Amino acid sequence: MKLSRRFFLHKGALAVAGTAAIPSFLVRSVLGETTGTPNKRLVVIFQRGAVDGLNVVVPYREKNYYSMRPSIAIPQNKVIDLDGFFGLHPSLAAFKPLYDEGHLAIVHAAGSPDMSRSHFDAQDYMESGTPGVKGTDSGWLNRALQAEDANVALRRRCAGTCEQHSAFRALALGADVPLTLAGKVPAIALNNVNGFTVAGRGPAPSPAASAFEAMYADSGDHILHTTGDETFEAVKMLRDANPAQYQPAPGADYPNSEFGNSMKQIAQLLKANLGVEVAFTDVSGWDTHQNQGGVNGQLANRLSDFSASIAAFWRDMGDSAEDIALVTMSEFGRTAHENGTGGTDHGHANAMFVLGGGVNGGKVYGRWPGLANEQLNQGRDLALTTDYRQVLGEVVTRTLGAENLETVFPNAGLSSSRFLRLV
Amino acid sequence: MESLKSALAISLCCALGAPVPPVTAQDSSAAGVAHPMHRPAYQSSQMQGDERILQALNRFTFGPRPGDVEAVRAMGLDKWFEQQLHPVAIDETELNARLAQFPAMQWSTQNLLYRIPSNAIIRQAINGRGTIPQGNILHAVYENQIYRVQEKQANQAEKKADQGGKAQDTAANQVQVASGNSIGQPAAAPAMSSNASMQNGSATNAPVSSATILNQLDQLSMPADPASSTQPAMNRAPGHANPPASAPSTDAAADPEQAIVADILALPPRQRVARLAAMEPADFDSFIKSLRGPQRAKLNADLSPDLRETAADLENPQRLVVEELVSQRLARDIYSNAQLQEVMTDFWLNHFNVFLHKNEETPYYLVSYERDIIRPLALGKFEDLLEAVAHSPAMLLYLDNAESIGPDSPAAERTKMAAARNGNTKAPEGINENYARELMELHTLGVNGGYTQADVIQAARVLTGWTVDQPQRGGEFIFNPNRHEPGSKKVLGKKIKENGEKEGEELLHLLVTRPATAQFLSRKLAIRFVSDDPPQSLVDRMAKTYLSSHGDISAVLRTLFHSPEFWSASDYRAKVKTPLEFVVSAARASNAQIENYQPLENALRQMGMTLYGCVPPTGYKWEAADWVSTGALVDRMNFALNLAANRLPGITVAWTSDPGNATLASDAEIPSPESEEARLEPLIVAGDVSVATRSAALQQFAAQSAQDNGSARPVAAAARPFNRNHALTALERQDQLLAGLLIGSPEFQRR
Repeated sequence: MKLSRRFFLHKGALAVAGTAAIPSFLVRSVLGETTGTPNKRLVVIFQRGAVDGLNVVVPYREKNYYSMRPSIAIPQNKVIDLDGFFGLHPSLAAFKPLYDEGHLAIVHAAGSPDMSRSHFDAQDYMESGTPGVKGTDSGWLNRALQAEDANVALRRRCAGTCEQHSAFRALALGADVPLTLAGKVPAIALNNVNGFTVAGRGPAPSPAASAFEAMYADSGDHILHTTGDETFEAVKMLRDANPAQYQPAPGADYPNSEFGNSMKQIAQLLKANLGVEVAFTDVSGWDTHQNQGGVNGQLANRLSDFSASIAAFWRDMGDSAEDIALVTMSEFGRTAHENGTGGTDHGHANAMFVLGGGVNGGKVYGRWPGLANEQLNQGRDLALTTDYRQVLGEVVTRTLGAENLETVFPNAGLSSSRFLRLV
Repeated sequence: MESLKSALAISLCCALGAPVPPVTAQDSSAAGVAHPMHRPAYQSSQMQGDERILQALNRFTFGPRPGDVEAVRAMGLDKWFEQQLHPVAIDETELNARLAQFPAMQWSTQNLLYRIPSNAIIRQAINGRGTIPQGNILHAVYENQIYRVQEKQANQAEKKADQGGKAQDTAANQVQVASGNSIGQPAAAPAMSSNASMQNGSATNAPVSSATILNQLDQLSMPADPASSTQPAMNRAPGHANPPASAPSTDAAADPEQAIVADILALPPRQRVARLAAMEPADFDSFIKSLRGPQRAKLNADLSPDLRETAADLENPQRLVVEELVSQRLARDIYSNAQLQEVMTDFWLNHFNVFLHKNEETPYYLVSYERDIIRPLALGKFEDLLEAVAHSPAMLLYLDNAESIGPDSPAAERTKMAAARNGNTKAPEGINENYARELMELHTLGVNGGYTQADVIQAARVLTGWTVDQPQRGGEFIFNPNRHEPGSKKVLGKKIKENGEKEGEELLHLLVTRPATAQFLSRKLAIRFVSDDPPQSLVDRMAKTYLSSHGDISAVLRTLFHSPEFWSASDYRAKVKTPLEFVVSAARASNAQIENYQPLENALRQMGMTLYGCVPPTGYKWEAADWVSTGALVDRMNFALNLAANRLPGITVAWTSDPGNATLASDAEIPSPESEEARLEPLIVAGDVSVATRSAALQQFAAQSAQDNGSARPVAAAARPFNRNHALTALERQDQLLAGLLIGSPEFQRR
């Protein structure tokens, strides 16, 4: 196995990690010493299309909830009770054990403060981390890695090796790098781990792959040269990690869905010790204007897939799930009232999930604004009480060591004193 | 950016000074074409000679085909460009022959939705809100779809209620509902037989006797065009359904199902399709599911375009529309001689992006959107284009203007009164700002074009009532005065008096004539045609032409063409190809013969640039940063190798004029890799590649031969080549690999 320079410098310990006999806690401590980071890995999931948070984490003690949603409300006897006020949609049964174990936290009435009801704008705002500001061309997660790099204490501890990062440091499961991950820190995108190879699979690169590698390495074309280097390094690392051999842990039953497959591949890449620090993927199908359903139906099906995939991921990660933080978001919520076509329209605040070893779970965070007519945002949506950047700011500080939150979320005025203390 | 440009200039400059690989005598003429640059000895800031031709071909076409440089040189560059600006006069015989494969792409939206029904139309038919055509193949199309939808629902119901036998009842009930709508159904009522098949569908059931179907076939005469059918209601085969989703048997001879398949495949085209149409939905379903790969190919092999469409319609109408929409677009991009028109069609389709899956009707509306609006107006006046887009159902539905209702319009007043009467708490319907915002932000003024949120709201009020008549059935634009917001409006400081539909036209004219629009469009065009960061002097000149020519797109392009900035040597190959540009230029450079466009579409999807697949209204970006990622690069290299080695099904490339020629089979007669590289390089890259690229391509031959000798491993491993009807000669294998490497090279990623 030929280790590339950058790979070796950054993750010297990974050569050790590659030999399977080392217990995982030991590898973790070695890594921790080498990089000096808080040594967590962050998984970010974007639910595109605006999920109906009020039917995901149901405020089943709110009278008005039932009067506003005559045909789609989840009956009290069907919700999975969390705390006597909120309950999970029955399709989220896979989340209940995680909540009870204290790994899963919920933040309700959270989201972007911008009032846009356009999917496009709202997704851009949420991904860039600058609600209301158009044209931001980098994403909050990329800037979080920049903030990690700028963390002086971390740099001192890692003695000059911090600048050396794995090609897999920032990973998107998908065809391209999403805005969330766009920016100065190189990020890679791949949509199929097994297809991520040039000119066929094999124990060694084919001559065609070697020819391409030489072409791009020697190219005077800066952009293609750089990406080419990253590509071949990543291909090499992946080949050495031999993903074709991958078997999920027993009991990690991923749904056979696009999202299930993405979560499986994220687990696979995390477990292969490739130096993944942050991973992003998205899942769509939440824009339920029509025929949304209640206990069963369209939304219920999406939620089953969603929770089963995440629960399988958690189980699959086994021991190392402890070092994972996973956070979910969606561009905005949906109207508190159901509409005339058995669905809901574009609304405002929503529910976020935060899952992880270090998470203070088993609790629904955030101030509940209430669902009485006068408590609604613009008379129609769940009002917002927690800026999603407050949640993410805490998560990136605690997991990546990204302390300068002004870099991550410019002009958000975040301060650690206002953290919800959920991580 | 500057450092990139200079780095590129250096690499090009080095390539110039590099020794040309040795060539044999027989290739000297080819080698002469390989490096024909008539560059002056001094470092010029302007492109010269053939470099200008290549620049024009790279920017105004989807990439040069072999021979294009010579053709433009013979015609003269200026004359060629003027010809491109006047596409009507360009001969498209070859393209038209290819487009004849897609007859449905000439139909109106309404006709498309009727003859190739959407899921919504099928649901309407099930719910009794629509009619099922009677007495021709269309009837079978609808029935097959009704069956498919109901099967799906039944399966879902079954999953849900796995405790009880409820699913069966549900399915049966649904079938009954459908039968209620099948007015004037012939004696063999399909609902009844479907019902029977549900209950009796088991392995004990006798398979369809081929004699029965053949008997019925004799009574059928098949119109080539399903809509022109005056055929009386056909008798459908009795319902001896096979169990759905039965696994294909391994032994065709012993399996009656496979015997029927073989039987059907052996029929002549018309009878074959007639036979498919005469099958019961359940039988047809299991027939399709039992087909193996080669059988499926055989099913379609020799069908005329009309028959192929009919067969596809019987199976999956929605897929047919999307596939043909994508295929005809790729066919035009690759084979059209009016390349600038296609490049601009692509540009405007992206500028006025409409997402394919906004709703079930969008694919249908996109056919006309592209064919009747974007392409014909792509080189015309921008105002005409904007007007036509603003009136198009595709855009009105995509950006929700079709649902926008003036808050004080008669329609809203009625809703409010009704709500007050019924104590309804439902929020009143109202204005939708989506289109109004994007009209200013993305279509005309640009994000910094000087409009405010108040302007957006006012523009949205102006546009209330611009909607679509019966969108599910493919209706056209209508202005609905009941939804129109009364009173005068004020946009960008200009008062628009109450004037119904005309207000919108006034608004569009106002936007089109703003200097911000001239700047915004000119910059976007310059980014497409010149560089990611075009000089402001060029943008200003184009914007000036835009204003003085009243938004004449051709005039703006002419200004671009005649500007020194366009010919600046530092911008030679300055643009990274988008995935579409890469895939299409690869097909053009390799002179690919394409029967099946799906592999190209798949490649585009993988690379993140599905045609019509951009969800947000921004469209895809033209800048390199969006298209250079690790995954994308891997996909490009693999695509290049697969295309060049004929591993894409339905796509054939030939690197020698005489594939399979036995006289070249012996190693002694194979031209050297160097001479072949010198022959292929100008064909593919049209312009030279760097020394690094050339030597890397050549070096791998030593490695490849060593590996071949050692392990007898096939070239470039992995996939089996398709489209191969002879054993590859050593020369062909060598050429395929060389060509694949050139298409995957850094140079070919740029234009």
